[in-house]
Parts: sequence; C-alpha cells; structure tokens
Amino acid sequence: MLSTDLNTPDTIVEKAKIEVKNLNFYYGQSKALKDINLSLPERSVTAFIGPSGCGKSTLLRVLNRIYELYPKQTAEGQVLLDGKNILDRSQDLNLLRTKIGMVFQKPTPFPMSIYENIAFGVRLYEKISKAEMDNRVEQALKRAALWSEVKDKLNASGLSLSGGQQQRLCIARTVAVKPEVILLDEPASALDPLSTAKIEELIDELQADYTIVIVTHNMQQAARVSRQTAFMYLGELVEFDRTEKIFTSPREKRTQDYITGRFG
Amino acid sequence: MSVAMSLHQRRKRKNGVMMALCVIAAGIGLAWLALILGALIYKGVSGISPSVFTEMTPPPGDAGGLLNAIYGSIVMTVIGIVVGTPIGVLAGTYMAEYGRFSKLTTVVRFINDILLSAPSIIIGLFVYELMVRPMGHFSAIAGAVALSILVIPVVVRTTEDMLNLVPNALREAGTAIGAPRWVVIRSVAYRAALSGMVTGILLAIARISGETAPLLFTALNNQFWSSNLNAPMASLPVTIFQFALSPYEEWQQLAWTGALIITLTVLGLSVIARSLTGRREDR
Amino acid sequence: MTAVSEAATSSAMRAREATVRRFALTDMVFRAATRASAILVLVLLGGVAISLIAGSWEALSKFGISFLTTESWNPVTENFGALAPIYGTIVTSTIAIVIAVPIGIGIAVFLTELCPRPLRRPIGIAVELLAGIPSIIYGIWGLFVFAPFLQTTIQPFVIWLFKGIPGLDSLFAGPPYGIGLLTSSLILAIMVLPFITSITKDVFDTVPAVLKESAYGIGCTTWEVTRRVTIPYTRVGIMGGVMLGLGRALGETMAVTFVIGNAHRISASLFAPGTTISATIANEFTEADGNLYASSLVSLGLILFIITFIILAIARYMLLRIDSRTGA
Repeated sequence: MLSTDLNTPDTIVEKAKIEVKNLNFYYGQSKALKDINLSLPERSVTAFIGPSGCGKSTLLRVLNRIYELYPKQTAEGQVLLDGKNILDRSQDLNLLRTKIGMVFQKPTPFPMSIYENIAFGVRLYEKISKAEMDNRVEQALKRAALWSEVKDKLNASGLSLSGGQQQRLCIARTVAVKPEVILLDEPASALDPLSTAKIEELIDELQADYTIVIVTHNMQQAARVSRQTAFMYLGELVEFDRTEKIFTSPREKRTQDYITGRFG
Repeated sequence: MSVAMSLHQRRKRKNGVMMALCVIAAGIGLAWLALILGALIYKGVSGISPSVFTEMTPPPGDAGGLLNAIYGSIVMTVIGIVVGTPIGVLAGTYMAEYGRFSKLTTVVRFINDILLSAPSIIIGLFVYELMVRPMGHFSAIAGAVALSILVIPVVVRTTEDMLNLVPNALREAGTAIGAPRWVVIRSVAYRAALSGMVTGILLAIARISGETAPLLFTALNNQFWSSNLNAPMASLPVTIFQFALSPYEEWQQLAWTGALIITLTVLGLSVIARSLTGRREDR
Repeated sequence: MTAVSEAATSSAMRAREATVRRFALTDMVFRAATRASAILVLVLLGGVAISLIAGSWEALSKFGISFLTTESWNPVTENFGALAPIYGTIVTSTIAIVIAVPIGIGIAVFLTELCPRPLRRPIGIAVELLAGIPSIIYGIWGLFVFAPFLQTTIQPFVIWLFKGIPGLDSLFAGPPYGIGLLTSSLILAIMVLPFITSITKDVFDTVPAVLKESAYGIGCTTWEVTRRVTIPYTRVGIMGGVMLGLGRALGETMAVTFVIGNAHRISASLFAPGTTISATIANEFTEADGNLYASSLVSLGLILFIITFIILAIARYMLLRIDSRTGA
C-alpha cells in the first residue's frame, strides 16, 4: 500500500532492525490497525505521529507484545526482529522483552530503591557479582544522565525523585538490561519543558547504540528527535518517510493537513 | 408574601428538627460506646493483677488467673492466621492478577463475601462435622481450623482490593523489562500493595481474637494448662462465656478482666491497622 | 561495544533460555496454586452446606416440614420443633434493624453534612470501634449492666405505661425479667448500628458533589437535599447495607445468648424470655446426647444458613449494582 523506500543516498547503508508486514490488530471485534507495512532502520530514531486514536500507541505496543497481558487483544501478520518473526506462538515473551525495552508515558518506578529499580531487571537473567552490579547500575544511570543527581542516594526510594528524574530512572532501568530496541510511548508528555529537553537530549545520545521508536503527539518533538517519521490516521499508516520530508513536503494530503494543524 | 415566608419558616423548622435528630443519633451512638467501654474498664480493671497472667483458671470459688486461656487464644489465633493467610493471599492474587477478567473470579468474589458475613457458629458446626466427629474428640487444632476459615474471606477481600489498586502501568513496566508474571506479582504488585495487605491481616487477627462461637464445639475448653494441639484447649472467649454465666463472683470478675484484655487487644490492632492505611493515603 | 554483540555469545544465550524455561515452569505452578486457592473458597462454602445437610438429615427426615411449625422442644421425649428459635431469631433481628437503621442513617447524615471537619475523623473512628468490639463483650455487658438496668427502671415503667391499653399491654407484659426478647433486640441494634452507619456513609460519599450542589443552589435545606437527592440516589446501597446488617443480626450468637433467657417458647410479650437459633445451638450443642437431639440442632443451623445466605446474597447483589453505577 505504501512505499517504505527512503529514496536518499543514506538509506543504502541502513539495515532494517524491525520489519512490520501486513499487520492487523484487533481489540475484540474492532480493527485498530489496518494492514501496516513498515521498516524501522537500526540505530536511529523513528517517530510515530498522528491524532488521538490513530493507532500509534497500539502499533508500538505490538512491537514488544505487551498487549498479550490483556485478553481479547490480538495481532495478525508478521513483525520481524532481525529477520525472526516475533509474533510467532513459539516466541518467548519474556525473552523478547529483554531485547525490546519500553518506557511509558507516566513514569513508573518500582516500589524499591533507585539501585534496586535498576538491578531488578538485570538480576532476572544474569548472575553477576555485587561489584559488577554496582558498575552496571552506575553505567545505566550515567547513560540516562541521572548519575550525578542520585549517586549519593542510591538507597532512596525510586518514588522520592521528581517526575523528570523518575522518567530518566525508567530509561536507565531499560538500558541496564542491554536491549537492542527501545520503545518510548509519549515519554515526556507528563513532564515539564526542562525535563522534556533533557529526555530529548538523551534520545539523541542513545540512538548511537539502540534502535529507538518514539510515539509522540507533539509534532515539534518528532521533528526534533527523529530521523524518520510515520504518520498514522484511523489505524492506517498514511505516510512514512524521512522526518524533514514529512514536515516540509509530505506526499499525502492527510499528512499535510495534520502537519499544518487542519485537524488534530 | 406572608404565605411564602411561613412556608420557608416551616421548611427551616423541619430542617432544624431533622438535623437535631441526626445530632442526637450521633450522640446516642457515642453514648453507647462510652457506656460499654466505661463499664468494661470499670469492672475489668479492678481484676487486673499479675496473677491474671501467671495463674491458671481456677475451680469454682477459688482465686486464679487466665494464663491457660490467654495462651490457648494466642496459639489458636496464630495457627488460624498462619493457615488462613496464605490461602487468602493466593486466592486474592488469582482474582486480581491471573483471573482478573474471568468468570470464576466473579463467582468467587460473591461466595467469598457471603462467607465473610456468615454466622460464625455455622462454621463451628462445619468444623465439628469435619474434624471433631471423625477424630472422636475436641481439639485445639479443630478450633484453629475454624478460626482459619474465618480468616480466609477477610484476607481474600483485602488482598484483592489492594492488588486491584496497583496501577496497571506498574505491572506493564515490570513485564516490559522481561519479568515473568509471578515475578511481577511478587516484586512489584505485592510490594506496592504491602501496607494494605498487612492491614487485612491485622483486621483478620482482630476479628478472630474475639470469636467465641466457632470455638465452642471445636476446641471446647480446658480448665488446666494444655499445650497439646490434639486435645481441648482453653481460650479467652470461651472461658469468659463459661465464667460469666456462672454464679461465682471470682469467676465473674475474671470474665470481666478477660473481656477487657480481649477488647484492648482488638481495638489496639484496629488502631494499628488504621494508621497503616492512613499513612498510605497521605503519601 | 554494541548491545547486540554482548548478548550474542552462545553460552549466555543458553543460560538465558534455561532461565526462561524455569520462569515458565514457576509461572505455571504459581498460577495453579492461586487458582486452587480461589476454588478452595467455593469448596469451603459448598462443604459447609453439605455438612449441614448431612448432619440434619436424621432430624429432618423424622420430623419433615412440621419441624418448622412445632413449638415444643423436648429432649426427653425427643420431640423437637424449630418454631420458637425461628420466631426469636426473626423478631430480635427485625426489631434490631428497625431501631438501628434510622439511627445509623442519622449518624451517617451527621458525619457527612453536619459534623465539623476536625471532629469528622475521630467520630468516624469511634463508630468503627463500636463495630470492632467482639460480640461476647456486648453479651456480658448486656447481662451484667444493661439487663439489670432495664429490669429496675425501664421495664417496670413501660409495663405501667401500657397497662390497660389493649394490644400494647400484652406486648409489654411483665414480669420485668430484664433479660428477654426486647433486651436482646436492643443489644443487637447496638451491634448492627456501626455497620449500617459505615456502609451508609460510604454510599453517601459516592453522591457526586455537583448533584448536591445544584440542590443547595436552588435553596434547599440540608434535610431536603438529604431526603430528595442523597437518599434516593443511594437507595439501593442503603438497602444493601441494611440487608447486610440484617444478615449479621440473624447470625449473631454471643451477644444474644447471654440475655435472651433461653426459653423454648413463644410468648406474646417482648419482655418474656425466648430463644434464637444461634443461642439454642450455642447453649445446647455440647450437652446434646442422642443423635436426634444433635441432628435437630444441626437442622437449626441449616435453617439459619439458608436464611442468612439468601439475605446476604440479596445484599451483595444490591451493593454490586451500586458499584456498577459509580463505575467502581
């Protein structure tokens, strides 16, 4: 239905980390995603934008199959991670989520200390010494630009941090388990502008090592952080292209209308 | 104009009367509490002495204490809690986590609420048929089982309610990091709901500490010291029952003292339970 | 150092896969354990019902339906009838509810509308403390404090007051025992009161503020808002709370046993002694010799179980409807 070629010279070296093929998604009987085809390049930031209810969060949540927590939500089609279909019945969900991490809209620190928040995920699958764990926690917090603010209070409860810090803690927690992909579902929408700017800086740094997908209702944010953008509307993928192209000369009229604020 | 004014005045007067009645109602409620607690303290305190906690229940006419009854109550309450709490927590966990949307949960919730308010003497009859008759004798363990059946619905209810309050986003966060369901429940959901669940256990303890009927034909009573779970065991409520209905003054005094001890324990636990939830609300 | 190369070492992969298998197994076991515990709750209630039916078989098959209509209760001739306990249970509970409901609603109105804010919490706690007092405390208080008081002051006064008035004088006929049906009803009323109050207060709190504000806005008095807005809105919830209180009152044992008088007969006077189902069982079960005697007592238990089950089921159903309306 839609070309996913990004027709500029740079795309030749870009390898697809995730390929979505003919994806349909249902909440019970109603179809929320209609025949999505998409290719997400590795080690760069892709943004999903669109008005409320367009399916961008739904699509994101298919990528780590978190929808499986709820009955009556089903996906059909293929989602290939490095060529392997993760929608397959045989795919172990817990293992999948060690490769594809997720940060949610509302910061959700676990009811544990800052140290434990990060160690928790690591401990699930790796047996490492305390010294190694200390190192892991420190690296993760540095990666999330939080280390200097919390290094003296690692035993304080995760809930004692401010909203922006909590969200960076969630990001630290996610990178600590060394995933390959990081999914961000409107990560800054609950935060103040200063924290939002910090998060965006973080995303820019992280894309050197991780494939990042971000859902955002803030068009300017998408324009700032992402290399390619997918515009969705009513469950369909309307247009997918390099971010500059989407925001300056989109091909589809619906995209143009959304970008210019004709509807939202 | 004057007609409208008198209608207004009539309405005002009626309101005043009804509101006064409501205040009186509150006064009545508080007055009863004061009367009961007052009598309890007045009559119970005069019997408080170290011997209450060091001597056994006496034969009629003699002085003595309540040691074996207190011990028996503690033992059976502890066993009741130890047996009933895990079952209650697990059942509540199923209802809030694995089976949140299932029909089984709806049915269990309904039945559990009925068990919660069921007459405790019926539970006593049930355990009598279940354990005392086949075993051929009364026993402390039968009493403890009866108490555990009273504990289960309380713990199921509070566990389910508290776990349902844990936001789903927290569970998703735990799942998203690769934790399997049981780890998410144990390390995230239980931890988040902990103070509420502990409150439930405290309330269950408070409830069974004062229960007499289920012990009447399970653990029966025991005039002497016994730590044998397979034999009848004394308990404070049953001892109070026996002593209060007797014509002996020393026994009646011990009954009042025992009643005071139970009431202070139960009210103390309720206060602690409240302060736990209160703290959680403030946060 | 890329994330991909680190995890790709094959031994790490194998370790991960072993962990994943372990997780799946533990998940299965834990899930089964929780499910089994939930089913156990159902089994418990079923077990109670079955054991009651089994235990009452002997008496019910001997007496049949006349068990419910016979007043006599004679262990010597082994002729047992449940009429007196059933009568006592229903009368005491009904009177208790009739007294407790208006007072309970009154206290709930007081707490939600009239009470000054700083007093609200302490008084609420005081009411809940009343609910937490074990029933045996009410029993001995009733026996040693309340009953003598009634015997020496209230009862003679009421007997004198209604003397000669047809109907009322047989309802309140002497002698003033102190203990008896009415005393038990009053004690039950005090026991049920905090229950009704807290449930009524909870449902009152579910009334949306805008609803009350719009009534106040057109000039209604507090009583009018309560009567015309709050109570109709919460009607079903209050009924549910009342049924719950009734269920509690019907099954109450210790508070009643001390002051009911334990007489297996039905008298016209409320001041006369009587008995209830739970008081009968509590007093006589350990003394019951003979299988028919014991079976008759269990039959009483079965009757009580059925009555309270129905009342509690109706109560829960009504409270369920309140929950679904507020979307809780």
